[in-house]
Amino acid sequence: MAKVLNEGDVARMRKVLLELLDRSEADGCVVCDSGGYVLAQEGRGTTDPLLLSALGAGVFAASRELARILGEDEFSAVFHQGERKSIFLRAVTPEVLLVIIFSNTANVGLVRLYASPAALAMRAVFEELDAGVHRDDPERAFVLTEGGDLFGAAPPDKDR
Amino acid sequence: MSFVNFSKREVQLKIVYYGPGLCGKTTNLQTIHATINPHAKGSLTSVATSKDRTLFFDFMPLVAQAIDGYTTRFQVYTVPGQVMYNTTRRLVLRGADGVVFVADSQWSKTAENVESFADLEENLRLQGDHIDQIPYVLQYNKRDLPDVAPVHYLEYTLNNRAARRPAFMAVAPDGRGVFETLNMIARMVLNRFVKQHSRREAESPEMVLV
Ligand SMILES: Nc1nc2c(ncn2[C@@H]2O[C@H](COP(=O)(O)OP(=O)(O)O)[C@@H](O)[C@H]2O)c(=O)[nH]1
Ligand SMILES: [Mg+2]
Repeated sequence: MAKVLNEGDVARMRKVLLELLDRSEADGCVVCDSGGYVLAQEGRGTTDPLLLSALGAGVFAASRELARILGEDEFSAVFHQGERKSIFLRAVTPEVLLVIIFSNTANVGLVRLYASPAALAMRAVFEELDAGVHRDDPERAFVLTEGGDLFGAAPPDKDR
Repeated sequence: MSFVNFSKREVQLKIVYYGPGLCGKTTNLQTIHATINPHAKGSLTSVATSKDRTLFFDFMPLVAQAIDGYTTRFQVYTVPGQVMYNTTRRLVLRGADGVVFVADSQWSKTAENVESFADLEENLRLQGDHIDQIPYVLQYNKRDLPDVAPVHYLEYTLNNRAARRPAFMAVAPDGRGVFETLNMIARMVLNRFVKQHSRREAESPEMVLV
């Protein structure tokens, strides 16, 4: 079944993420699940959230395997340091991941510090989601758009 | 497992191209990326070895107007086919809404195709899915090569479950069969998504026939 976020969930996550960005001075963040779906996104530096999620989920899954080799349950966080930009990945639940992007003018200590409460606050959202607590979802009527094939090759002359 | 964001009015669906090493999964994505309408595609990213073998996965987002009032995003992945990368295949398969099984039509690849299909079945089972319950299509690729098995033989070896699935012949680098395959799996995934989300109404008491 689908994971479903309604207006309320989105608003709650947005609040948590904006607070995190504000306090940690990070540029932007993406919340994704282990399948690579983008669940939320705030701030700058995340121009391609779909790709960030796909790769973030991959990196985190790989790190989980590394942890297993070392006999650790998992690494709760993964840090990639670059010259100017860095990326910090933090587990929210076993299925959900918080990806934070920051310039190296920000402080990794602050990012790490504020990532934890943010992850905890978001975990609450997802636990309620999973438990189906007081859901007030909109009408779930999805109607397929009429039409022929969804995808096709562009006409050759469009390349010019 | 699909994902719906009511706030952004967006639906995300995941399609995975599966199959033995070198059967043409990456080539399918490359052909789609090179020829599809520009407004429908995002960039194609490959996490590959220096020899162009898929190491982790290929990833390409596609966008379509498929559900009224919602933006539909298809996240298209390929798995690395080599037997030793099974852990990676499992990671990529997580949460898949639909699968394209690409087979290499050459006679010499028969065993690899069968092994890879069994591996797909097993990996789906490990994540709590069942091959008969998940939308998938088959693609018999490399039809341009001289030493290929006839389609009825491929059907016999790979498409032999109780419910026959759609199958397409393809020459991935030339585009033959590539969009037919993609459109069919997209359609099947969408149909299942819509059906799953209408079930609530069907299950409401007044609708139940005892
Ligand atoms: N002749 C022929 N070659 C193909 C076809 N599809 C893929 N190939 C070639 O097979 C090789 C492996 O393809 P690739 O897409 O990397 O396989 P993957 O391991 O499944 O991702 C490449 O050299 C492709 O050019 C096809 O339909 N016909
Ligand atoms: Mg490949």
